Amino acid sequence: MPMSANPLATLRRYELVARVLRSNIAAGAIPEGAVLKEGPLAERLQTSRAPVNAALRVLSDEGRIRRLDGQGYIVEPVPGGQRRASGGTAALDALDIPPDVARALGTRGTWQHFYEQVEREVAASLIFGEYRLVEAGLADHLGVSRTVSREILGRLHERGLIRKSQSSHWTAGPLTARILRDRFQLRAILEPAALRLAEPYIDYAAIEGISENLALKAHQVDDETLEEALFEAGAARAPNVELVDTMRRARFLPLAANRALVELGLPGSTVDRAEYHALFGLLARRRIDAAAEELRAHLQLMADKSLARLKIVAVLGGSATVAPYLTEI
Amino acid sequence: MTLPGAPAIRRIDRRLRILGTEVSLIEPIRHHAEADLGLSLEFEVLDFQNCEHKAATAPDSYDIYDQCFHNLDIVWFWGALQSIDTQRIADWDHVSPLTREGRISKFASPGYGDRPVSRLYVQPNGFLGPVPSRHVAMLPTVHNFDSFGFDRRVFDAVDPEGASWALLLSPRAGGRAALVDEPAIGLLDAALAAEASGAMCFGDLGNLTVAEIDALMALLEDRRRQGHFRCLWRTADQAAELVRGGSVSVQSMWSPAYGGLGAMGDSFVEAVPAEGYRAWHGGLALARHLQGAPLDMAYEYLNWWLSGCAGAIMARRGYYMSVPERVRQSVSPQEWAYWYEGRPAEIDLPDPFGQTAVRAGSRRPGGGYWNRARHVAVWNSAMDEHNYAARAWARFGRAMRQGGACP
Repeated sequence: MPMSANPLATLRRYELVARVLRSNIAAGAIPEGAVLKEGPLAERLQTSRAPVNAALRVLSDEGRIRRLDGQGYIVEPVPGGQRRASGGTAALDALDIPPDVARALGTRGTWQHFYEQVEREVAASLIFGEYRLVEAGLADHLGVSRTVSREILGRLHERGLIRKSQSSHWTAGPLTARILRDRFQLRAILEPAALRLAEPYIDYAAIEGISENLALKAHQVDDETLEEALFEAGAARAPNVELVDTMRRARFLPLAANRALVELGLPGSTVDRAEYHALFGLLARRRIDAAAEELRAHLQLMADKSLARLKIVAVLGGSATVAPYLTEI
Repeated sequence: MTLPGAPAIRRIDRRLRILGTEVSLIEPIRHHAEADLGLSLEFEVLDFQNCEHKAATAPDSYDIYDQCFHNLDIVWFWGALQSIDTQRIADWDHVSPLTREGRISKFASPGYGDRPVSRLYVQPNGFLGPVPSRHVAMLPTVHNFDSFGFDRRVFDAVDPEGASWALLLSPRAGGRAALVDEPAIGLLDAALAAEASGAMCFGDLGNLTVAEIDALMALLEDRRRQGHFRCLWRTADQAAELVRGGSVSVQSMWSPAYGGLGAMGDSFVEAVPAEGYRAWHGGLALARHLQGAPLDMAYEYLNWWLSGCAGAIMARRGYYMSVPERVRQSVSPQEWAYWYEGRPAEIDLPDPFGQTAVRAGSRRPGGGYWNRARHVAVWNSAMDEHNYAARAWARFGRAMRQGGACP
């Protein structure tokens, strides 16, 4: 990952949006009872709707906002927060966007508009085999210049999704059981250690919120959201940029593979809620060593599940769902 | 007769839909089960790959899944099935140690690969594993120890007893070799042949690495280009047809195919492999959606499979059942002696359809059940790299068909 003057530039777009909303709710700029809608927020933050949607789901899982049927989300009470008389749409002009976040959102050029889509499509193809990507083909498909397509490919390379073959062609995949197992092993080594380092910096409020929600049986949160929240509030707080960066890269492929499987219709939630409840509970009670040990065991289980799930792909044709700029080798 | 004013009795639809393969879903099974249980059965018979695809992706289209342990991973982790309560299986205690414990006896080789016991019991975390529990993912039923068959006129110096899997890759086959077209089965026949011939050496025959799969497929591709393979087949009938038509001199074989060789039956013989058998184990699983009366009905059907009658029908096509003692009570002493004890047939013996399958005086290669079950080299397996292997195998199959070699 390139060095950057703005540490926020390495965050994903939805994380930036979530950050803005969180701080505005906490400060009362978005009061209790206000309604948040995807479209107006996207316009105000000058971003597309997808990251806003993802950010709203994160905040909902944290218990800060609650979904209204098809009408966006309503802001939940904050201790000591202002109360709005009627639940109208939030006045977004008052939204405080910290300058560093605005810069991080603003410094994103054209290629960023396409990057997440391409990343998702390439990641989804890996489980089906080995593919070739051509700069010009990608540019044509997206309707962008070759400079933009080159930047996208460069970023995919950085994230470990594609590599240059001996004949200098960009290739992706295949995602094998071996690669998946190795990634999980790496995570099982790094994440518990990072969690211990992060002890003073852990976002205990977020952890406690999720832990309480998990205790309520009715509260349904998918595995991926819980995994992300656990990581972002915990191990990712470790005061070691290099370590956090390495962890992010190690997490990426398993996550992408899992997303692709869910999109193919595989049932998403496979981990017992009690396991997450135990994990978040230990963290909430500041029992870091026990939590780190639990996390290691949890990652082992996730590895086994992922391997079993990868086998399922064998019975799926797959080629129909692979993006047209990917050519099977 | 319904009296006027009497409450209408709701007729329960006594119907079960079974999804499976030609291995066990045959008419004699359907007739006997329907008569014994008083219900109607719909059999949907597909080849292995289409069957597991349908089982995973259309779990509402069947009530019972009749398939092999090695593809349980795929269907189980799709969430298409529910566990079986062994307390509702009357003969559970009679099920053979081959599945319940992992081998037929303490001194038997457990074999490489997906031993059924490793997929049998539902573990507390939702995984399948060998640690006994009250609930199982699949009720063990029919199984066999497969090998290959060869034409003695071509391999005239080879004794079927102790013949090597290497024969499948022998140049003497002269372009007339065939394999079963299934990545969890045919690929292992090829792996056994590659290892036996000395061309390759695998770390774990039942769980190949990517590099090993690449090397094996390169070897097969090389042989394909040389014209070594005549064909890949998917059903026992296709396998028998290839032999009858004189198209193959050595190939993967399934037991029922030997009954259909006609005039070739004398020269095309079943090997008793020096390296051991490639074993498989079938079973019955319950669809996730079953509950109430249909679930009760499904348990009736499961129990019927262990009652002896099904085992007798399966024995007549050369397959063993997980409850040998129950089968013994349901077959003639002559059938028991030939199929399970490996003794010469005293009289002509029928197949499940009443045709003569075994002539008096002949003897089953490999001896009795307990002897064969002790010599398992590898089980049919969906290995860790199954996704990778299945795709490599599919490419090989496409190349074979493009070469015009396959039906």
